Amino acid sequence: MASTVAGRDAHLGLGESRARMRMMEIVAMATVAAMVAGLVLYPIYYLLQAALDVGLPDTRPPTAYGVDNFVKLLDYPAVLWNTLVVTCVATLLALLFGFVSAWILTRTNVPFRRTLDQLMTMPYYVTPLLGALAWSLLGAPESGFINQVWRKFFGTEALIDITSPMGIAWVMALFEGSVAYVMISAVMQSMDPALEEASAVMGGSRWRTMWRITLPLVAPGVLGAAIFVFAEMLGSFSVALVLGTPARFYVITTAIYHFVSQYPPRIALAAAMGASLFAVMFAMLWLYRWLTSRNSFVTVSGKAFRPRVMDMGPLRWVLFGVVVLYVLASAILPVATLLFAALQKLAVAFPAASNFTLDHFRQAFSINAVRTAMLNSILLALVTATLGVMMTGLLSWIILRSRLPGRGVLEYLAMFPQAVPRIVFAFGMMWAWLVFPLPVYGTFWVLLIAYLTVFMPLGVRTISGVVLQLDKSLDECGQVCGASWWYRMRTITVPLLRPGLLAAWLLIFVASVRELGASILLMGPDSKVMTPAIVEAWFSSSSELTAAMALIQTVVITAMMVVFGLLARRLAQHGAPAQ
Amino acid sequence: MPKRSTTRRTVLKGGLSVAAMPLASTLLIDRLAAQGRPVTKVLDFTTAADIAKAEAEGEFTFYSHDSEPAIAGILEAFNKDFPKIKGKYVRAQNSTLFTRTIAERSANKFGADVIQFSEPATALDFQKRGGYSRYVSPQSEFYAAEHLSDPVGDYFWIGVTFVGLAYNTEKVKPEDAPKEWKDILKPVWANGANVKMSNSGMQFVQWYELRKLYGDKFWSEFAKLKPRGFDSRAQQFERLAKGDERICVLAEYAGYLLVKDKGAPVAFVAPADGLPAAPLLCGIADRGSSPEASRLFIDWQMSLRGQNHQQTNPYLYYGSVRKDAPPMPGGKRLADYKLLSPTKEMDAFIASRDSFNKEWNAMLGL
Repeated sequence: MASTVAGRDAHLGLGESRARMRMMEIVAMATVAAMVAGLVLYPIYYLLQAALDVGLPDTRPPTAYGVDNFVKLLDYPAVLWNTLVVTCVATLLALLFGFVSAWILTRTNVPFRRTLDQLMTMPYYVTPLLGALAWSLLGAPESGFINQVWRKFFGTEALIDITSPMGIAWVMALFEGSVAYVMISAVMQSMDPALEEASAVMGGSRWRTMWRITLPLVAPGVLGAAIFVFAEMLGSFSVALVLGTPARFYVITTAIYHFVSQYPPRIALAAAMGASLFAVMFAMLWLYRWLTSRNSFVTVSGKAFRPRVMDMGPLRWVLFGVVVLYVLASAILPVATLLFAALQKLAVAFPAASNFTLDHFRQAFSINAVRTAMLNSILLALVTATLGVMMTGLLSWIILRSRLPGRGVLEYLAMFPQAVPRIVFAFGMMWAWLVFPLPVYGTFWVLLIAYLTVFMPLGVRTISGVVLQLDKSLDECGQVCGASWWYRMRTITVPLLRPGLLAAWLLIFVASVRELGASILLMGPDSKVMTPAIVEAWFSSSSELTAAMALIQTVVITAMMVVFGLLARRLAQHGAPAQ
Repeated sequence: MPKRSTTRRTVLKGGLSVAAMPLASTLLIDRLAAQGRPVTKVLDFTTAADIAKAEAEGEFTFYSHDSEPAIAGILEAFNKDFPKIKGKYVRAQNSTLFTRTIAERSANKFGADVIQFSEPATALDFQKRGGYSRYVSPQSEFYAAEHLSDPVGDYFWIGVTFVGLAYNTEKVKPEDAPKEWKDILKPVWANGANVKMSNSGMQFVQWYELRKLYGDKFWSEFAKLKPRGFDSRAQQFERLAKGDERICVLAEYAGYLLVKDKGAPVAFVAPADGLPAAPLLCGIADRGSSPEASRLFIDWQMSLRGQNHQQTNPYLYYGSVRKDAPPMPGGKRLADYKLLSPTKEMDAFIASRDSFNKEWNAMLGL
């Protein structure tokens, strides 16, 4: 291919400047690739070093190496089994929520589509701790509001137990379902409806069309979301901590948390536990690459199309109900529960009038550190999302469209941070950036580096699903016409990738604001961020104060997302891509 | 609340302590003098810090295990007394704080000026690694030798937290409530008791002291009741108040006061055998960038002003071991309680940490 293009260039008589431009492209791509490798491999090196550390505890560098820590993992079969069960169930549920909602909202004429679309992303604005806390208030066997109401009117036993393994999986799926939705709907929006229309013309029913046409075409997006969500579930911490601990139910992340927080800390065992998840992640990624390399998923080609939706008739109200139910369970009910709790001294289902108070909100606003931390969080999230989309966009392009040697390895590298629970990966980053020659440790810079690293998989997975849908001929057409790589990117690729890029920006922005695992360890005295303060309130104060603080954070994020949404719409109106 | 019982042994111990006091004081004065620092009075306490230099440094960084609001409260109170010195902080759970600080020091980064741990084992480990900068505060004379590091000047007991039992008054009748530690072994508390996780220094002290009182089988019997473990007293008491558990076996008095203030249906019980108590330990980190501000902060913390803050801030409510400490909220002094603390057998206590971790993790299902 490269030689063909080179030959064509020569034939067209393009001069040295073109060759220089090509060289610059290669240098630019190689720089991004090297940067990504550095961001990921540098902390991974320290993490593996810790996992293989069998020398004196808390001595760096290690005084002896061995595999004892990996062997010790076999002492915790229940933890490994619990993790596998909860992760698999939660992933399946989240994909189901995400796919069904994405299909309904992008491919059917369900009423209030735009409003529902915005509501669907709401669970993602809610920190996982907040979601877990809300469902704990609702479904704890003894004190859960639902169970209190049930007992008052119907019986003595608890109606639901949210602390059971299936309860934990349910809550995890509810909140990751919106991530799956954003990723899958970005792919569905970029799909040419002509293929579905052809199926309809040939007599295919709506369900058959969805099953045989829509689903296979969005397979890369669904698979990408599956891998990402699976990895998120593996690394999920807050939900398992809040809901699992009361039931003496531990998964890898909560076990790791207990190992690193006890004295003497068992960092080496925790690192081995985290590193062992690489194998699981790589298996998943290999499967993804194998499946996506077997078929073409191109739906965006040179032929123009306008996204159209299927007329579902009266059924559209049923579909409307399905989405509303999801939004209710994942966003409205939890937020309402937290508001109800935050307004009480001690949250109960049937409060006396004297139990209501505004003290928790007053207290939340009065904590100086919280106000500063909120501003810091937003600033960091803006920078991380913008740089992150640029970096992961280029990275996705390099992985899927370039001829750069080793691009396949890059995809595996990009998924590394997702493979390890954040709470462990943070130690790798701390050790790495502590000894880095430039003084970044303890500053905003180390948080920015950490966020760019840990959210790399999120960006790559979101954008890759859309890149796979673009026909290579569109770019090649520009190339033949003599357009430079940068010009083609600006005028062809980026406009066509806009849904994916916007989705990635939104996801990274929100993920940055609610980041916890890396921030706790890497925050310096002058670089505090919000979510650790919320978690801290849960540990040291009360669920009610935590709810108030988390609600404030959610309101701020939601307000910002509304502003960004309006800006994005205005941008789209001014420069809609010609597809 | 039972008072400390007076026995021949305690009288003898007391007599020996009194007899040793002049000697201890002389040693302390010698060490203070050896530092070659003039002692001055500021506000209502004495300090050997150079206040002008401390103000020129302008800030210091406090590494602590305490909660954010607790640390912020301490630093604000100090800043009110010394407006030219700003305190910044890094907060992490005790072991994470230790790991982070050790990692920083191994990379020649010395971010901490003052550091506070919640476990003697951690402080001793830090001391063995040369982590403290020795400074004998003039305030040391108000503390018993057992509440200061050996050698003196590395750290001191900034406060003490102690535990009894607590129960939910809506779920448990007063006559059925546990009154002694042995009562927690009754089968009626199966799936209805909460404790803390093995990362708690206080939990370690309770395990050690009750095992000493009632034998090695005590906790294995308790394990049969499948207790639930949590990370903080706030979580324990919140669950107790809402009825998720009926009794709290590691009931910190400070946590009890917090929920009681909200009108929660909980009651505190002080078993006659004594209340396990654990110290919080604070000292100046070696090679910090603000040594004089750190010394002034330590003197302030050890003074009556600082100790009063430790006793009355609702996020702390730590009892003061200072000899002339005022009463705690509720009117009692720490000395009014019979406290169980492994002060005299620190080596044996620290050596048993691994056994505790194993037994406790297994008991909580990990």
